[in-house]
Amino acid sequence: MAEGSGIRWTNDPGPLGFACRHGFPVPIMLPKVLVIDMDMLQLSIQVGVNGLMFGIVYILMALGFTMIFGIMRVVNFAHGEFYMLGAIAVLLLFGKLGYDYYLSLTIAVLFVGLFGVVVERLLLRSLVGRELNSMIMTLAISITMLSMVAIIFGPQEQSVDRPVSGIFQIAGVIIPQDRVMVGAIAMAVLVVFYLFLHYARFGLAMRAVAQDSGAAELQGIRPGFIYSLAFGVGSMLAGLAGALMAPIYTISPFMGDVPMMMAFIVVILGGLGSIPGAVVGGLLLGLVESVFSTFFGSTAATMIAFGMVVLILLVKPSGLMGRAQ
Amino acid sequence: MNRKTVLFVIALVAAVAWPFALDNSFFTHIGVSVWMFTLLALSMNLMLRMGQLSLAHGGLMGLGAYTAALLMLRLDAPFLLAFVSAGVVGGLVALITGPILLRVKGVYFVLLTFAFGEIIVLMFVDWVTLFGGNNGLFGVPRAQLFDFILRDRALSYVFALGLAALGYLGLRWIYRSETGAVIDALHDDEELAQSLGINALRYRVVVFAISGFMAGIAGGFYASYYTFVTPNAFTFWAAVDALVMNILGGIAVPAGAVMGAILLVPLPELLRDSQEYQVLFYGLVLIFFLKFIPNGLYGTFAYLISTPRREIGMRARKVLAWRQWK
Repeated sequence: MAEGSGIRWTNDPGPLGFACRHGFPVPIMLPKVLVIDMDMLQLSIQVGVNGLMFGIVYILMALGFTMIFGIMRVVNFAHGEFYMLGAIAVLLLFGKLGYDYYLSLTIAVLFVGLFGVVVERLLLRSLVGRELNSMIMTLAISITMLSMVAIIFGPQEQSVDRPVSGIFQIAGVIIPQDRVMVGAIAMAVLVVFYLFLHYARFGLAMRAVAQDSGAAELQGIRPGFIYSLAFGVGSMLAGLAGALMAPIYTISPFMGDVPMMMAFIVVILGGLGSIPGAVVGGLLLGLVESVFSTFFGSTAATMIAFGMVVLILLVKPSGLMGRAQ
Repeated sequence: MNRKTVLFVIALVAAVAWPFALDNSFFTHIGVSVWMFTLLALSMNLMLRMGQLSLAHGGLMGLGAYTAALLMLRLDAPFLLAFVSAGVVGGLVALITGPILLRVKGVYFVLLTFAFGEIIVLMFVDWVTLFGGNNGLFGVPRAQLFDFILRDRALSYVFALGLAALGYLGLRWIYRSETGAVIDALHDDEELAQSLGINALRYRVVVFAISGFMAGIAGGFYASYYTFVTPNAFTFWAAVDALVMNILGGIAVPAGAVMGAILLVPLPELLRDSQEYQVLFYGLVLIFFLKFIPNGLYGTFAYLISTPRREIGMRARKVLAWRQWK
């Protein structure tokens, strides 16, 4: 919830509405009082804006996840760790070494992308096509990365200064400026990503492999290269989300778990492997989360999110925008 | 007696003699955890045999543990009743949710059970008045039959070993029965099986329920052995542990699940002092196995035992020659 906003719970459930214990989101169970001092229209705009700000980060996370699944058929349980790695890189470059924030952001994103390529080439390539084994491999990668970061940086929560602070106040609706910055950068990256997929040679090749890897191979596209590219780009998007959120939330080795779970939910809602689905699912989850955590608390929001997942899988397992299997 | 039987007898004697020969309560405790997780791993083996990976098994085990704990704490139920109820609740929940959950397959089933398991854990956390929230429930009575209370660790060990052995034999019996053949058929070619008049969903649900029962029993044992239950023991990582045991041991046979549990459960105890190094070691071992021993321990052992040494050498030479030629 935006600070200073017209709606608040007196016990602020914190970013994303969760506290993290043992790496798992634990809704805080304390008595809370809802305070609203805005009219109906302002309220709905505020809730909508909050939802969009949640949603855009979910979309960033979910896009990489869904793309990796669409192209490699690998369910990437390590996606949250790439998010965490992006944030850690910003902590190191911006927080500790004092580089410019935007420079740190760029280096962090490139580093995470490169790391993703290495991980894909060394560990995942030989398991592509075996869904169960590759899924377990990503679990193994996830806990290995997590514990390595915990060993190097310590398990405690750390924070960096916000490069942008202050709020915009438009007709009683309150928008924190740092969230606007996050939203703007994320939006720009989404546009670039869309153009890349639809007009760039490699982007087209990636979509071709996702559609039919055999036919793509016949056209002279090397799937191995595309796998590396897809995993690299997917990791970059996760790393970007982490690097953007680093100044807003606290940084810890376990910070990737909640966004990971959100990416999971978004991707199931939208359809595994579907890129428009990730966008639709991300916006939907952001709005639902915003509405329910505002009026009913964060636990209800999480329950509803899981409920939506169960419902969508039963009614239309391929997701809102997914192709039928 | 062939080599396999000899090895089996040696393993059996070692398993039974473990707590009495060493007489060390720490080693006995590890042994108890090994057999408890063996039961969970076996229940996962049943799911994998069917080709469905369930991440809800941590939650199902939790349901069993909380059922046993609540029955004994709140209703003063005798241990045996609470213990059996733990399994029944695990099985019943699987039986009721099965027809819904099992309508989807593959990755979707994995994700759905992931969500289902997390909902169960959220329920433990949120329903504070009944389940005690994050603190869980403490002071669960120990296993007890009439007037005999199971306080001795070595006897707990025998109890756990007995449960694991029953689970193992039960699984072997299922796999060798007609049901087992149907399960295999469903995994290999569902359409063909259906064309022979087999109700695929019904078999799946029954298998899921049996598997849930085993997980629930493991949970019931957990509650009375540790004397406390907390929600974070039953997150999807518990199911992942069970899965990893199967992968390490080899998923083809129940013996693989047993070997995986024996290998994996003591592992964190080696690096007891620092949790991060434990997790790191766990991750690295897992990566190593997936990369270099994809058939698991059992697969590799079975290959080495059943194949004469001369032939292994010949096969290795063939592989080398083929690689050079390529």
